Amino acid sequence: MNSSKIIAIGLAIVALFAFPIFLNNDYYIHLGTTILIYIILLFGLDIVVGYTGQVSLGHAGLFGVGAYTTGVLFFHLGMPFYVTVPASIAVTAFFGGLLALPALKVIGPYLAMVTLAFGTILQILINEMSFLTEGPMGIKLLKPSLFGPEMGEREFYWLSAVAMLLSLVVVHRILKSQLGRAFEALRDSPVACDCMGVSVYRYKVYAFVISAGFAGFAGAMYAYSEKYISPNTYNNELTVLFLLGIIMGGRKSRLGAILGAVIIVLLPKLLDDINLFRMVSIALAVMVALGSAVALSKGITTRKKVLAPVIGTIALALFSLWLENITDWRLSIFGAMILLVVYYLQEGIVGFFRNFTSALRAKVVQAQDLSASAGEAYANVIHQAAVKDTAAPILNIESILMQFGGLKALNDVDITIKRGTIHGLIGPNGSGKSTMMNVLTGIYIPTAGDVKFENETVIGKTSSEIALSGIARTFQNVQLFGEMTALENILVGLHHSFNSNLLDVALHLPRFTKEESSARERALGLLHFVGLDMLANEEARNLPYGKQRMLEIARALALDPNLLLLDEPAAGLTAPDIKELLAVIRKIRDHGITIILIEHHMDVVMSVCDKISVLDFGQKIAEGVAQEIQTNEKVIEAYLGGQSTTA
Amino acid sequence: MEILIQLIFSGIALGMIYAVVAFGYQLTFATSGTLNFGQGEALMLGALVGLTCVDTLGINYWLMIPLVCIFGALQGSLVEVVGVRPAIKIKSEFGWIMSTIALGIIFKNVAENVWGRDDLRFPSPLPEEPFQFLGANILPMEILVVVGALLMMLLVEWFNRKTIYGKAVVATSNDRDAAALMGINTGIVIMFSYALSSITAAFAGVLISPLTLTGATMGASLGLKAFAVAIIGGLSSGFGIIIGGLILGIAETTTGFYISTGYKDVPGLLLLLLVLALKPSGLFGKTAIKKV
Amino acid sequence: MLSIKNLKAGYGKVEVLHGINIEVPKSQIITLIGSNGAGKTTTMRAITGMIKPTAGEITLGSENITGVDSHRVARLGVAHSPEGRRVFSTMSVTDNLLLGAFPRLTGSRPKGDVKHDLEKAMELFPRLKERRTQLAGTLSGGEQQMLAMARAVMLNPDVFLLDEPSMGLAPILVDEVFKTIQRLKSEGVTMLLVEQFAAAALNVADYGYVMENGHIKVHGPADKLKNDPAVIAAYLGGSH
Repeated sequence: MNSSKIIAIGLAIVALFAFPIFLNNDYYIHLGTTILIYIILLFGLDIVVGYTGQVSLGHAGLFGVGAYTTGVLFFHLGMPFYVTVPASIAVTAFFGGLLALPALKVIGPYLAMVTLAFGTILQILINEMSFLTEGPMGIKLLKPSLFGPEMGEREFYWLSAVAMLLSLVVVHRILKSQLGRAFEALRDSPVACDCMGVSVYRYKVYAFVISAGFAGFAGAMYAYSEKYISPNTYNNELTVLFLLGIIMGGRKSRLGAILGAVIIVLLPKLLDDINLFRMVSIALAVMVALGSAVALSKGITTRKKVLAPVIGTIALALFSLWLENITDWRLSIFGAMILLVVYYLQEGIVGFFRNFTSALRAKVVQAQDLSASAGEAYANVIHQAAVKDTAAPILNIESILMQFGGLKALNDVDITIKRGTIHGLIGPNGSGKSTMMNVLTGIYIPTAGDVKFENETVIGKTSSEIALSGIARTFQNVQLFGEMTALENILVGLHHSFNSNLLDVALHLPRFTKEESSARERALGLLHFVGLDMLANEEARNLPYGKQRMLEIARALALDPNLLLLDEPAAGLTAPDIKELLAVIRKIRDHGITIILIEHHMDVVMSVCDKISVLDFGQKIAEGVAQEIQTNEKVIEAYLGGQSTTA
Repeated sequence: MEILIQLIFSGIALGMIYAVVAFGYQLTFATSGTLNFGQGEALMLGALVGLTCVDTLGINYWLMIPLVCIFGALQGSLVEVVGVRPAIKIKSEFGWIMSTIALGIIFKNVAENVWGRDDLRFPSPLPEEPFQFLGANILPMEILVVVGALLMMLLVEWFNRKTIYGKAVVATSNDRDAAALMGINTGIVIMFSYALSSITAAFAGVLISPLTLTGATMGASLGLKAFAVAIIGGLSSGFGIIIGGLILGIAETTTGFYISTGYKDVPGLLLLLLVLALKPSGLFGKTAIKKV
Repeated sequence: MLSIKNLKAGYGKVEVLHGINIEVPKSQIITLIGSNGAGKTTTMRAITGMIKPTAGEITLGSENITGVDSHRVARLGVAHSPEGRRVFSTMSVTDNLLLGAFPRLTGSRPKGDVKHDLEKAMELFPRLKERRTQLAGTLSGGEQQMLAMARAVMLNPDVFLLDEPSMGLAPILVDEVFKTIQRLKSEGVTMLLVEQFAAAALNVADYGYVMENGHIKVHGPADKLKNDPAVIAAYLGGSH
């Protein structure tokens, strides 16, 4: 962090604590406290919505659980602050886990609906279980009395400020650690994530649980702040308000969450006062119209694009003038705002400014500073494949049958892979090669037969279990984590080398810092191995195609595999790229790692494979060394074609 | 015992309504991979517009139905143009989820301001005296609900299988880009599926209203429960949602009676969570084969 | 028939085509070859409206079709068998073929005899005949390629765009595909063929354009190109 940033943050913290001294009015201080509490919740919500990319419509329910845990413990058992708050965090985290179980087996809109259902159930339960929650009557609380008498508005504000800062630090550390990378990876490519040993399901659950913990913390603070809680607060409209906060402020950004909280707390106040609303909407219409005129004259945008916001804001201003009473139409305004933000402010206010400033000056991607890492660090990046029993084959594929309905994609296939060799798997399209890949990596479960890796069966294990046991793969259609840098992609592959847990990460304990720095060193080494070290800080999706393929191989190597599965690595590569690929493949083999290579490029296959198995229509029709295969009649007929079509 | 049978029959009628609304979800999801989170509000608006036609304008119930369907088509098209189309263009799932929610909020607020916040009575087109069947009271309206719902779904299925336009719709659900290359205007197909989805919801609204009360809040929980039915049945199986609807409807009426009305929404929601936890493709849906 | 002048197009901020010129005369097979990433598929997509060009002009006969939406380009008579086949997997082979004739069945193109053309397609692609009621998603890659081509033929197109038909297919199936293209050639079809597998493409085409990094590097009659050392070096090496 550079010094100007530190100064800015320092000043902000001072202002934060000085606020209630300068504005000594309970109403405004209470608003400030509410904002701080919402910030805590939005930090957590951002993990789920901004990072893992899941739409959660149940966070108001979790917020309610936090508030009610505190309320119930206070009301029925008279528990003090330092018991209720941790209890709220724990209970809400538990509910978050409960929600995650069904929710995360599904995606997208299903997940949104599940969270909606969950939130609705929670609200119903809070309302109906009046023996515990006092139902619609609600529960009254007192502010905590940590240092003698009950706290006032001001003291509680400072307590909330401390809470918010604590949450900020914890969230930031989590997101910059292997946990945060896992969250991002699972959004970019869930399949690759699983095959790199990071179980998508498990990390989605973690994201939800952590997010719920923050919601619980916020809920507990909220109960004390309001001194009264009732079920109807924690409804679907509150959830939508939270989401609006995240999108409007800006996803994947702490500042965005802060901004978002400020907006959603102040917005209903704004919508209560018709005169204030009129002034603001007219001002907004004028700003948008002027801004559009400027943008049009500079040629940054087109008439069509500005039409909607200009007309929308003018209509809003006219509407405000016509209305007598804004409160009845609050929800419509609110809905219209969501529409506007979702389409015209997708990156949120923070994102908008970020794009704005980066459009003004060209983005300079820092080339990796290599002077720091000495040559020796690159020496042992590829661990020599653990040699167990050299005589025994490393992989035994036994009578595999893979049936989809009536189609036998693999029909009684037996292949033995010898340790330390490069074994080619070829065959016409539809012959079953990719199906075999998916069976070997746990994406498909075969209808019958067995696969033994190092004499242990692979069938029934999940993709991430298989990845962690020593089998790594690349994909036919490159599955990189597009929005992450090349270095970060490798770091995800190195996820297995991290033993530190949430506590280590949050407190930056030595176990975590050591693991993080050695992982980074190793990642750089792996990038060097495939010739990509100069591009370490480039976003993966911006790399040229050939380099993306190399990056995928490097990422697979990060798993320390004994067996590497390459799925059509040469597809779409130019001749020089293919040469590089062959060199890398040979280097990998020299480290003792066994390779299974699926390919269509016959020259690649014939030049580098020790043994080749040929599939056709799901069956193995031939096996042998290159020359044998090239002269095998069955193979020629099925695959190489009788008459070549070249002149 | 009679009470149980009665609850079952009411549950069937209720369940068919859920099934019809769920059908609407299937339609838009198939062609565009999106759904209308404000589907419940589409039903609510259909019911209220229908009420205005019948009560204020004095139009006959049966004549009102096509009018409400036209309204539904317009409303659905509006949702598509304003809420969904921009999201599809920028390939943002978050976009259409949030915007259909937002539109739902707006529709509900508008309805509250236009028709008030109280629940209203919808005059029944059929005689209100129940007749006896297996010892239980059944309202003729309940029979109409079941028949109407089934007819609507059968009509759409026939359209999809037998006409070239229906095939075009299915093709769009399979592969939108390839469908466009065939000369199919996929934008119109998607708008059509949203229009149709709102038509079915509005139709369901005027079917159910004589049996319950009509008001601005009727759509809220309905949309969610219909979604539960869509999931339970499987988003690709028409038959499945009928079964799902029946299960849910009956569970709801029996819970409401035997446990408490406050809890009546819970079994449906729990079922949704269970199905998603155990068999996400639904009881009848096909598990998609992953291709990597 | 189809004329592309100074076409520029790309994805987002990245320009992939930097101003290319291609002529596809009537009843000729023109091939566009080049390595992956050269811009061949981008060119196809720009013609049929899957992406919008940023500059240049595309004309079909006398009609300007630059930037026109996909469905309208199809209705004007341009059939596109896309990269990756893209058949309608949950529909039968027959339904796929009928959908190829959608503009004819819905009045955007002269109807002709769709039933007769359906049978003719089955003759032209015998593998499909045995599988007419089978769901397209269960066909093998080679069969799907046949289906995609037959589907395009069903439009009765003025121009046939065929994108990477050999991709992912084993040599023997590639043989079949190119034999089919030969058959279509003898029927007088106007075709723009994009291929990575240059050898077979130049064998069947009348004229060829070699693309590299969004530019046309060299073009000429297919026979001449076959023996151009620059082309041979970059594209005809390797398998076969």
